[in-house]
Amino acid sequence: MSRFLSKDFLSGLLFIAFGLVALYFGQKLALGTTVRMGPGYVPRMLSIILMSLGGLICVVALVAGSEPVERPKLRPITLVTIGVIAFALLFERAGLLPALVVLVLIASLGGEEFKITEVIGNMVALAILCTLVFKVGLGMNISIVRGVW
Amino acid sequence: MDLLNNLLLGLSVAVSLQNLMYALIGCLLGTLIGVLPGIGPVATIAMLLPITFHLPPTASLIMLAGIYYGASYGGSTTSILVNLPGESASVVTCLDGYQMARNGRAGAALSISAVGSFFAGTVGTIIIVLFAEPLTRMAQKFGPADYCSLMALGLVAAVVLASGSVIKAIAMVFLGLLFGLVGTDVNTGAQRFTFDVPELSDGIDFAPVAMGLFGIAEIVVNLERRLSRTGGTIKVGSLWPTREEVRRAIPAALRGTALGAALGVLPGGGPTLGAFSSYTLEKKISKHPEQFGKGAVEGVAAPESANNAAAQTSFIPMLTLGIPSNAVMALMVGAMIIQGIQPGPEVMTKKPDLFWGMIASMWIGNLMLVVINLPMIGMWVKLLTVPYRFLAPAILLFCCIGAYSLQNSTFHVFQVALFGVLGYVFVRLGCEGAPFLLGLVLGPQMEEYFRRAMLLSRGDPMVFIQRPISLGLLITTAVLLLIMALPSIKKARQQAFQEEG
Repeated sequence: MSRFLSKDFLSGLLFIAFGLVALYFGQKLALGTTVRMGPGYVPRMLSIILMSLGGLICVVALVAGSEPVERPKLRPITLVTIGVIAFALLFERAGLLPALVVLVLIASLGGEEFKITEVIGNMVALAILCTLVFKVGLGMNISIVRGVW
Repeated sequence: MDLLNNLLLGLSVAVSLQNLMYALIGCLLGTLIGVLPGIGPVATIAMLLPITFHLPPTASLIMLAGIYYGASYGGSTTSILVNLPGESASVVTCLDGYQMARNGRAGAALSISAVGSFFAGTVGTIIIVLFAEPLTRMAQKFGPADYCSLMALGLVAAVVLASGSVIKAIAMVFLGLLFGLVGTDVNTGAQRFTFDVPELSDGIDFAPVAMGLFGIAEIVVNLERRLSRTGGTIKVGSLWPTREEVRRAIPAALRGTALGAALGVLPGGGPTLGAFSSYTLEKKISKHPEQFGKGAVEGVAAPESANNAAAQTSFIPMLTLGIPSNAVMALMVGAMIIQGIQPGPEVMTKKPDLFWGMIASMWIGNLMLVVINLPMIGMWVKLLTVPYRFLAPAILLFCCIGAYSLQNSTFHVFQVALFGVLGYVFVRLGCEGAPFLLGLVLGPQMEEYFRRAMLLSRGDPMVFIQRPISLGLLITTAVLLLIMALPSIKKARQQAFQEEG
């Protein structure tokens, strides 16, 4: 099993998967001729090249072997991603300040040490900095707290 | 005479108060991120791209360029003082720079590296001035087939820089090209891979991609590794090098400058490659190779000059041909497109003030860096003691706001999250992000040139080897690929990157 869980084999699979997805969603695009190429010509060409490269990488990985993948730690990547998505959801609906508070809180949870006083201090500093730079300094059209400022 | 006039024009643009200010901001920001490990110039420039909307074109490019070469200055400072390279280009400086610091010669190492960098930057600027016009004139003879081959060369050369396996890097280029196709087909107006999302019809914006791949993914990896700081107290000591040190540093800096400048021009070259090669060269030709790694002056002077010379000359393909040679240059191309300037040979003829102003400002920026940074070293070192748990949320926040302000839409923030996850997968699987980003940026243009070339040749693919320019470029590409496949080169390359990691 472990020889299939190597970095190279999995990246080969990833390339093949991207190629397949592109082929599937690109099948309705007209191919055209080599003289007058349709919108589908280059995408199909690239997907096929990508899939062959992916296949080659897989074969080489199985024959020559490659590094095993490290066991990923799920906590940082999950929390960081959730933080960014939460920011995106809150930013227009609630304003910069709530989005900032949630993002900094969630992102800080992803780290090793978590001290609530430090996190609050960080939030206050970043809120002041962002308001000054983006709202006052650059005059961007964003609201700090929706409906208030 | 023309050259002199152009330079004067450039200087007059660059010394305007506004442009000087943006050069200063760029240099300071660049030094800051160079000092801080965990954030590089690619993510920073991506974050700041939206802000450049509000600036005039020249000012924004001057600022972004300042970040790029400021970062290599900042990176060397921390390499020397605390053995922490802020940027990949200053990894080699750690080897001897930190040893010099431990021998009590930190001040000398810093001033040698700063003056060497300044000298290299000056030479680099002169080279840009000399090469810009002939290259631009040559580029104007390029047909669609030639451009297509040139881009192929650029993309393959970018693979040399990727540290993993060559074939994976090539696959990443193709994946990037594929992502670059998303959006409305220019020739037919057909929607490709847009999944009825209106925001995608203009294509995938590369700024959120760069933030995700280089910003978010890097933060996550650093959080996993529990990146900690070992600041400590460092004595800088006298900034004046001894006469002996100067005697040894000057020839090394000269060789480093020459090698760095040459490697910088090559597509795919850049500061990191220049620094590594010049360190190896110095070690090879030195009469005392055993001193390297123990505080040899040459080991600081050569790579520091080389990385700065390469940082300068890597602007040449971007400014004259519109071909970015590394990820930072790809973002610079994007910054120009945001401002409505199509990078390529026309920039010099149609926007001479922008072109020459930017070049002149690079030299001014290099001067600023020496003047600002030597006295401020203490402050930069203090910054190193800021723990990463404060920095990570701040970087994330700036990425999010930056992505939003691209088009005042939260769609791009979601895109950052998505490409953050993808970037994390890439890191885990040992796939390089830089070739992907280059493919993404060059994809649309390359398809355009490819289709035009095929249309002109009535569908005959032989056109790519019938035109001499295109043939030459393709042969170079093939030779590069072959060289990389050679076992001895492969081994040397692996070794070089092992030292880096």
